[in-house]
Amino acid sequence: MANVILKNLVKRFNSVTAVDDLSLEVHDREFAVLVGSSGCGKTTALRMIAGLEPITSGEIFIGDTLVNDMDPKDRDIAMVFQNYALYPHMNVRENLGFGLKIRKFPKAEIDARVQEAADILGIHDLLERKPKELSGGQRQRVALGRAIVRKPKVFLFDEPLSNLDAKLRVAMRAEISKLHRRLGATIIYVTHDQVEAMTMADRIFIMHKGALQQTGVPMEVYAKPANRFVAGFIGSPAMNFIDATLVREADAWYIDAGEFKVKAPAAFNARLEPYAGRQVVFGVRPEDIAAHDPAADARAGNTLTARTDVVQTLGAEIFVYLTCGAHSLVALMEAPEQTLTEGQRLDVDLKMVKTHVFDRETSQTIV
Amino acid sequence: MAKNRTAKALKTILFYAGAIALCAPPLFVFVWMIMTGLKTGVQNISYPPEFIFMPTLENFRAVFEQYNFFHYLMNSLIIATLATAISLVLGLPAAYSIAKYRQGKIGILILIARMTPFVSYLLPWYIIFRYLKLIDSYSALTVTHLIITMPMVIWLMVSFFESMPGELEDAAMIDGCSRWQSFLLIVLPLMRNGIATSAIMAFIFSWNQFLFSLILSGPQTKTVPVAVYNFISYGKIDWAGIGAAATLIVLPVSIFAFFVRKSIVQGLTMGALKD
Repeated sequence: MANVILKNLVKRFNSVTAVDDLSLEVHDREFAVLVGSSGCGKTTALRMIAGLEPITSGEIFIGDTLVNDMDPKDRDIAMVFQNYALYPHMNVRENLGFGLKIRKFPKAEIDARVQEAADILGIHDLLERKPKELSGGQRQRVALGRAIVRKPKVFLFDEPLSNLDAKLRVAMRAEISKLHRRLGATIIYVTHDQVEAMTMADRIFIMHKGALQQTGVPMEVYAKPANRFVAGFIGSPAMNFIDATLVREADAWYIDAGEFKVKAPAAFNARLEPYAGRQVVFGVRPEDIAAHDPAADARAGNTLTARTDVVQTLGAEIFVYLTCGAHSLVALMEAPEQTLTEGQRLDVDLKMVKTHVFDRETSQTIV
Repeated sequence: MAKNRTAKALKTILFYAGAIALCAPPLFVFVWMIMTGLKTGVQNISYPPEFIFMPTLENFRAVFEQYNFFHYLMNSLIIATLATAISLVLGLPAAYSIAKYRQGKIGILILIARMTPFVSYLLPWYIIFRYLKLIDSYSALTVTHLIITMPMVIWLMVSFFESMPGELEDAAMIDGCSRWQSFLLIVLPLMRNGIATSAIMAFIFSWNQFLFSLILSGPQTKTVPVAVYNFISYGKIDWAGIGAAATLIVLPVSIFAFFVRKSIVQGLTMGALKD
């Protein structure tokens, strides 16, 4: 096992910069998830770690070894691909053993390792089948198995679950997490699905336009996004963003969005000071919007009046699409006793301590 | 419903009418050739042509006995096999690198060599091979046939290689293969259909090649198309012999093609659609 360090990694395809000065460290035995929307450079970064893509500049270390000029086969890594990439002309047993065979492992050792991987993944019955005779989930297992038998220093996963149906994906997520614990391996996992990132990662690395936006444990990234992109990317449904102006009034700072004005918590004051009168973006997560509580302190200044647009029932919770003048907001709230109708007036409270304010020009988080 | 069915029937009829119209001319020539081989010399020049007659195998016997046809068949077989084998050995890696590293320009260059009228090669080749004392040698004929078979293999195989998902090779490289190993152990086994198609096409084109053999071969290395041509002499044209010989030439490739027709069809439509 080993850690993986990227130093100032750059990848340019002609004039397009796919990965822009990426530096990060994945610790030994860590489950690291590289997440971002498509085209953010995460897969390119992974392929550079694997040695499948030449590096424009920068350095990659696996363990203590600089691997920049090493062939993929010498990097002691295994990779699981989005399309599984099983060899169609070999059966499952041959697929699993191929990497060992090419490395000239003794036959007995190959058999033992293939058995072991088949045990872990429960694919004993499939060993003599060809890949085309397998379902998507089974293929995915075999692809995992092919990585496991090698016992590599680092596992690389390139969107391995994106071709599976939703139900299977949830099951495989849990399985990969279990596998990580069992193998105690360093895993770098690339995905565009923030749910996968949140549920599986020890640490999340969020990328956008080739650059690293933020690194942290899932809850930290969720609670303290570094910028507007991260705030909008992590969390589902996505955070609501509203253009607003910061205004200082006698008692406190207010976030003035025209149609409504809410009071910022005192804890925000120091950070908001330099932005007096400036244009900002106000961010509030759907789960931090609740139906107005009449018993609450009226001076809290966190209530706004909106109109319901669409109401979607999930069961215990509902999605409410709200309009407040020109602004639209999504709220995720507990299902009220009285059914909400579409087009009705609704007062909602915002959990102000959980809200965020972003610089409109730089998109950086102010608070 | 009834209207629908009529339309469907009409469609079927039109389809088969079209198919027959397309297939009839070449089939007619084919049948005519076989019939010529089975008739006697007199029957062949009678007018109107006889369609019902007592077939004879005399011409086939004559072809082998008088003209030493077996020797020419072996010549053709040796040259076509060598040319096909060499163009596979050299052409497969070439096609792979054209597909993989997007060497379209090299691909075009190869195509130009193929499209240049063959007649323009003949004189220089004749002079060169005469200096090298290679006229009437298998090597001269095999090498010249490569200009037909190699572009065939390369151009068919490029589209095959392009249709192969790159992730398979990535997986092989990570599993421990070198470029060559991944080419030999992963890529080539998956290209069986394509290799079979291009090999058959290359073989047929070499087998049928007339012009190069006419100029560069001699008594020892004469191939079958040239041998048949020699049935035409100043005095007479041995139609029956030509028919029998032509049937013998076409027979092996036809039988061969019949058995592998599935992979040929698949091979020739490959690359049009990615699955």
